[in-house]
Amino acid sequence: MSLVVTSPEETTDRVIPWCHSAPISPTEGTVPDWYQELRKAAWTRFANIPVPVRTNEKWRFSDLQHLRFDDYTLASKLPSDLTSELINRAISERPEHFSAHFVFANGQLIHAETPALPESAVCVPLSDAFHSHPEQLREHFLKHEDFVGGDKFAALHASATLSGTFIYLPKATVIEHAILIHHFVGGANSMIFPHTLIVADQNSKVSVTEAFESVAENEETLVVGIADLHADHGGKIQYVALQDLSESGAKHVQLQHARAGRDAAIKIGYVNLGAEWVRNESINRMVEEGADCQVFSANLANRDQEFDQRTLQSHEAQHTTSDLYFKNALYDRSRTIFSGLIQVHPNAHYTDSYQSCRNLMGSEEAESNSLPGLEIDADQVKCSHGATSGTISEDEIFYLQSRGLPAEEARRMITLGFLNESIQRLEGDDLKTTLVERIERKFHSLS
Amino acid sequence: MNQSLKIENLHVSVEGHEILRGMNLEVPKGQVHAIMGPNGSGKSTLAKAIAGHHDYEVTEGAVYLDGVNLLEMSVDERSRAGFFLAFQYPREIPGVSNANFLRAARQARLPKGQEIDAVAFYREMYAKMDGLGMDRKFTGRSVNEGFSGGEKKRNEILQMMMLEPQYAILDETDSGLDIDALKIVAHGVNSMRSADRSFLVITHYQRLLDYIVPDVVHVLFNGRIIHTGGKELALELEEKGYDWITKDAA
Amino acid sequence: MSESATLEALAIERDTGNFSYPEDYEHNAGVGLTEDTLKYISDIKGEAEWIREFRRRALKVFNSKPMPTHWASKDLENIVFDEIRYYLSKGQAPKQNWEDVPDDVKKTFERLGVPEKERKFLAGVEAQFDSESAYSNVKEALSKEGVIFVNSTAGLRDYPDVFRPYFGKVIPTGDNKFSALNSAVFSGGSFIYVPPGVKVKHPLQAYFRINAENFGQFERTLIIVDEGAEVTYMEGCTAPKFETATLHSAVVELVAMKDARIQYITVQNWSNNVFNLVTKRGIAHENAEIRWIDCNIGSRLTMKYPGVVMKGRKARGEVISIALANTGQHQDTGAKMIHAADETTSNIVAKSISVGTGISTYRGLVHIPKNLKGCRNNTECDALLINTNSVNNTYPAITVRGNRHATQHEASVSQVSEDQIFYMKQRGLNEGEAMSLSVNGFVNDLVREFPMEYSVELKRLIDMEMEGSVG
Repeated sequence: MSLVVTSPEETTDRVIPWCHSAPISPTEGTVPDWYQELRKAAWTRFANIPVPVRTNEKWRFSDLQHLRFDDYTLASKLPSDLTSELINRAISERPEHFSAHFVFANGQLIHAETPALPESAVCVPLSDAFHSHPEQLREHFLKHEDFVGGDKFAALHASATLSGTFIYLPKATVIEHAILIHHFVGGANSMIFPHTLIVADQNSKVSVTEAFESVAENEETLVVGIADLHADHGGKIQYVALQDLSESGAKHVQLQHARAGRDAAIKIGYVNLGAEWVRNESINRMVEEGADCQVFSANLANRDQEFDQRTLQSHEAQHTTSDLYFKNALYDRSRTIFSGLIQVHPNAHYTDSYQSCRNLMGSEEAESNSLPGLEIDADQVKCSHGATSGTISEDEIFYLQSRGLPAEEARRMITLGFLNESIQRLEGDDLKTTLVERIERKFHSLS
Repeated sequence: MNQSLKIENLHVSVEGHEILRGMNLEVPKGQVHAIMGPNGSGKSTLAKAIAGHHDYEVTEGAVYLDGVNLLEMSVDERSRAGFFLAFQYPREIPGVSNANFLRAARQARLPKGQEIDAVAFYREMYAKMDGLGMDRKFTGRSVNEGFSGGEKKRNEILQMMMLEPQYAILDETDSGLDIDALKIVAHGVNSMRSADRSFLVITHYQRLLDYIVPDVVHVLFNGRIIHTGGKELALELEEKGYDWITKDAA
Repeated sequence: MSESATLEALAIERDTGNFSYPEDYEHNAGVGLTEDTLKYISDIKGEAEWIREFRRRALKVFNSKPMPTHWASKDLENIVFDEIRYYLSKGQAPKQNWEDVPDDVKKTFERLGVPEKERKFLAGVEAQFDSESAYSNVKEALSKEGVIFVNSTAGLRDYPDVFRPYFGKVIPTGDNKFSALNSAVFSGGSFIYVPPGVKVKHPLQAYFRINAENFGQFERTLIIVDEGAEVTYMEGCTAPKFETATLHSAVVELVAMKDARIQYITVQNWSNNVFNLVTKRGIAHENAEIRWIDCNIGSRLTMKYPGVVMKGRKARGEVISIALANTGQHQDTGAKMIHAADETTSNIVAKSISVGTGISTYRGLVHIPKNLKGCRNNTECDALLINTNSVNNTYPAITVRGNRHATQHEASVSQVSEDQIFYMKQRGLNEGEAMSLSVNGFVNDLVREFPMEYSVELKRLIDMEMEGSVG
């Protein structure tokens, strides 16, 4: 199978297939009929959705040169000596406390442990969930059709062989420590399609961290992931995507939906360190009174990396709240795009919503693009957004130098502090420590 | 015609709950009456309902200002008819300066086509501000925005002095005031006492009444006046609390 | 407050401009747009071949460009280009004396108070009636100093050396569909040149009047202010309320040479049937300053994003924008700031008010490309919603390349709250007055940026919008 891509410049609204057949593994086990149908429909949809073009507002400022996936294929199974090495890598990186840990390599589950999972909680690979929890899957699995530009990727994902996790928390189930999921991708021109579905019933609580990493450097790979979060009355979900793929060759599309019901609270975190090109889409819907969604991101971009993030805070009921706080530190020739929209639907009165994107420019050629947006169609609304870009002031450096720190160290501290402001809004000390360490690790590899 | 503020069998509901249940009260022109009562007795409801706030539904009864039923008027008509409410929690109005606001309120009282005399207006306003110990910078600041509690209350009294109502209700005007501010506010009110003007002072505590000495004190409980007495009643309530009266009423 | 009461209190009263005189035109290009239309216009004006060619090329560009409905309002599709009349005039030469202006035209401008303002505080006036200016006069002292203030026909005919080098250079024909349309059929507008060092103390004023139905007004303005010179230009506009849609599509180009300053003030009060699709841009050379002060109260749909290209070191650009969208209106306004030299600074302050079902949209573009240093932008945009179904959209885009710049964007949306109105009513103001006071409070700091005479008029216009018939 091959992915044939025509240069975006040449295409306007013509329909061009990216691949000739769906990325389905011939060796996979049985899947239910309804899912087969869903896949087929997704494949048809995929074929009919035009590839993004420059005049599409949802791809404004994106460098569409990145969207070339010639000859990409579904990632194949890795040899066992390599997988045990990956398992060790994943284990060495995880914090002391966790309630479950799944490791996937090229879409295969290679490691699973659930040391501290409450009995009522369900945390299983998707492939098992089709048989063990068919009702819940039929209700929630791949139900979204609204995207902020990534609909073609979403259709490709839906048609593909997925690797991923189904997490279900019945009423009042509280999971103390985080659930950790690792996805490794490797092999030239390989694709994986990780999927995470989290359903939190009344008053339940869970925190999930998903990490994306490359098996090796300098390999062309594509990750198209979907994370789908549902929090019911009083439920709490935290979902963090830590992306640390290879800076050369790896591409990552992560599409995430959150739906917060009455008094439910959802927190999302994005940390982007690796990959050559990243597209994050975060759609967060507050659908019942008292719902709250908070989205945070800390990104450290260098070389020729492009981080393209699009968000939607959709207020669909009265008395809902949301907050968004994105931070980018940019070096070399890197580019970031932040396009966020706060949408207050008619009758979503008493909405309280904020959005802020801050860029710290660390080189002469780095480029930040900020498109914070508001669409307000209701009454008694408090909304504001802000976007700034600037650089570390010489005064700040001077102050730290006067206390004895070398200029470079001062710069490092200030930049880490800048990104840390976003990280600290997340929950879980273990998690925050991990994220800060990963950012520091990349920082050391800079200069 | 009676020269008075007369409340007759007033029933008021908030979100379907009846708060005032057939209240009767008359404040003759020239007098100062106080209404006291425990929390939740309906004191603030009375003030807001007479002013015409949309959250307060009058289900029965009437309020007469010199014999004219106020309740048949819109909020601003009531104001222009000579009724003033000093709010417990005055609103902030971003972007609208105190001076412009007062000018507009004064202008609204003039017949159509007649313009306010700006020079005389400012002279008068400054004199009254001096009396209240207010800095002249206040005229340029937005109404109540960023004001301390005491500044807001002083501003309410300034508005009252500028609009010269015949009947004024002071709703918990003492709340949030330290003793110095309380004295200034009371002095402002006292300077306005006259045979042509009446005040209804709503307060939870007796201390305000040391400075604004009422002619009559009423006790409001469960939405009705259950006891009326002279100024010494306030002291008695301060000493003994409300139980000795409310017991009989309950 | 009840919504119907509010809507009533806010009912539009725009009677100042709502009158018209029977049509009596000597020249009428008829409906529709073909090369013949262009030829008709050129023949009347006796235009040189290069202008005719400029128009023909523009028509091709216009026809080739799609409507920008993939990002802008679908209401654009309701413009029927084949039913519009592209040129209407009563004769050619503008008069320098109001006595010589045709009677109904003169009466029109008298009712709008133009001659009175001219006597009081203006340095020059140009009054355009449909396609051509009927009156054009500049104070003698300014003429003596070399200030040129004429309409576009006279500008290109009599001063080609001055104007031709810049004509269509700040805003190329193909900038957008409507700049192309204007380039094909432009007529009227002001061409101004201010020689080096001349500081024009009093404002120059243009007044644009649409009198006819099914008509499109396409004035073209080009202002060149030479080194160290200064000018303030103001434009006002009105049209009667017709049943049918009217199109106004202007192109305004400004050039500020080294150390020059241009202030361009617009009070747009078109009636509710006018599509107002205007392209405005200025080039600021070294240490020059261009300020757009833009107030949009009228029209059915306005799309206008005044821009400044800061081409010289230390150039400054500013857009001050006030928009009021009432029921049936969409004010789609904003600003574009293109930094093209070191140490350039730009400032955008936009305030919009949505009333009833009115829609206000802010679109901003701030662009700082690579290899520059010391650029700064500050943007503030605030929106005020009056009713439950009022709508505000805010879509800024900020691109910054490099680490030697600072940009800051802040936006907020707020409401006139019911309790706030209640408080003001208790002090004796009626709902309309209370609303008007709040709204004026919201825009007050921007209204102050207008020259005295205009800020009074502006406040009055806003009052009229907010107060309506409630007395």
